[in-house]
Amino acid sequence: MGNGPTNVLIVGVGGQGVIMVSKVLAMLCQKHGYEVKQSEVHGMAKRGGGVFSHVRFGDKVWSPTIPEGEADVLVALEWAEALRWLNYMNPKTGTFIADTQKIVPPFACRARGRGEEPGYAPQTPADIMAQVRAGYAMDATSIAEGLGNLKAANTVLLGALSTTLDFSVDSWLEVIRQFVPPASIEINMQAFAAGREWAQAGDKRVADSPEGLAKVEHHAPVVTDWQITAEWCKGCDICVKMCPERCLRLTDQLVAELHKPDLCTGCRMCEWLCPDFAIKITNTPIAEAAE
Amino acid sequence: MTDAPKTDEFEINDYIRLDQMPHFLCPGCGHGIALRALLWAIHELGIDKDKLAVVSGIGCSGRLSAYIDANTFHTTHGRPLAYATGLALARPDLHVIVITGDGDSLAIGGNHLIHACRRNLNLTTMMLNNEIYGMTGGQVSPTTSAERYTTTTPAGNTEPVFDACALAIAAGAGFVGREVTMQVTGLKNLLRDAIAHDGFSFVEVLSDCTEIYGRKNDLGNSPEMILSQKAQMRPEAYRNTVDVPFRPNALKTGILARNARPEYGSAYRAMTAGIREKGK
Repeated sequence: MGNGPTNVLIVGVGGQGVIMVSKVLAMLCQKHGYEVKQSEVHGMAKRGGGVFSHVRFGDKVWSPTIPEGEADVLVALEWAEALRWLNYMNPKTGTFIADTQKIVPPFACRARGRGEEPGYAPQTPADIMAQVRAGYAMDATSIAEGLGNLKAANTVLLGALSTTLDFSVDSWLEVIRQFVPPASIEINMQAFAAGREWAQAGDKRVADSPEGLAKVEHHAPVVTDWQITAEWCKGCDICVKMCPERCLRLTDQLVAELHKPDLCTGCRMCEWLCPDFAIKITNTPIAEAAE
Repeated sequence: MTDAPKTDEFEINDYIRLDQMPHFLCPGCGHGIALRALLWAIHELGIDKDKLAVVSGIGCSGRLSAYIDANTFHTTHGRPLAYATGLALARPDLHVIVITGDGDSLAIGGNHLIHACRRNLNLTTMMLNNEIYGMTGGQVSPTTSAERYTTTTPAGNTEPVFDACALAIAAGAGFVGREVTMQVTGLKNLLRDAIAHDGFSFVEVLSDCTEIYGRKNDLGNSPEMILSQKAQMRPEAYRNTVDVPFRPNALKTGILARNARPEYGSAYRAMTAGIREKGK
């Protein structure tokens, strides 16, 4: 890693423990006598937004932030965040460590139409592994969940990180013990060991869970059937105005009609808000409809 | 509550009298949405229609009982709670639900309401608050907001507004909640909890009267009215997360009070059973 500082970029979504991971790493480096500089953006936890933390350590560190393309290790606690920060990793010497679990932000679901693909990174872990020099795409959340607490996913990733940095396992565990809640020390020790073991089993490994990712689906595939009882409709306009997709309208006789059936997502808002019980929506799962 | 909760899909046509449809309510009246939420809650609780008794008074809200396919009782103005009290005491096996309006329960039936709250008899009251006497021609009601025009306040209302939920809490109701019609599923869940509550439960539903109240006060059409109600609400469930001073005039919605006072009906039956024992 040369004479300059070692750069570790930790990214994730608010609430996952990005700051905790970077604190552990910074404290560990400090204990080994390195100069450490860390800078972060935090406070995003409440919003489920992106959080990143730059950790730089070495004999002398001048700047607290990592320049683009110079991170030696990229640790990502969430898959899309990993891809967002991929350009910060050194393409020749960098190591990529990411959890393959997806946390889908609300704005990725803006396209609400039937059969729309979510606006979430389409690259699979295998695609990314082909691009990077060294790395692990691990299903840390499932590993932690298997141990009994999915909050320990960040420690699983620390276990994988420990294989790329020259610190002893004991010193890692000692620092982790300081930063995790006393009740969860045991599970974090196990999580660290599990992550380290997973990473030691081989480089460029991809988690074996199907597609490596939790499947993201907007709508359960359904067939929607509309029934509008025209005799009951009084033309109050509620369904027309409340439909999120604006797919209803009033006819000249002031009776609601569905004029854009393709846009309907089967959300049933019109049915629930119709004061005259004139609209009936039936959503049949596609599997059942085929039978 | 011995009935098994149902998990199958709610089908409103199973619960309404189809020969009475379409109902008499004006276009865009929120009462219909509230009726759907009530029937949905009844469906989710799995209450048998033979074990359901709906009592209503006079007014737009009073007519709703006529559309429910169950044991229904359309009573006198302001007195549905008095009839329901007798019914619930005589037939403790029934689920008694009272549908009443703001004028019905707060003005002419105000005394019945506070004493029903005080007794804590196992009843559920759904009060549809549309801020006006709609059926009788648009007179001012105890909940009409300040400066609003009605047929009896042609220069604007100057009377202070009655807070029905605060009244019910003060009178000792076991379960008090408020919801807007726009939040159909929230209203359904609130009514479900209210019916399941052992004791007197009071739910205020903010409905909209588009034809008489909205038109006279330039409040827009029904979608605009129900959306403006939704904009005013401040759910109690988010009390600790939403900044309160941000919307000082917001309406508290959700479960506002819940306490486990002794239910009157069981105490009454224990007392009468004791007297019968002594008489033997």
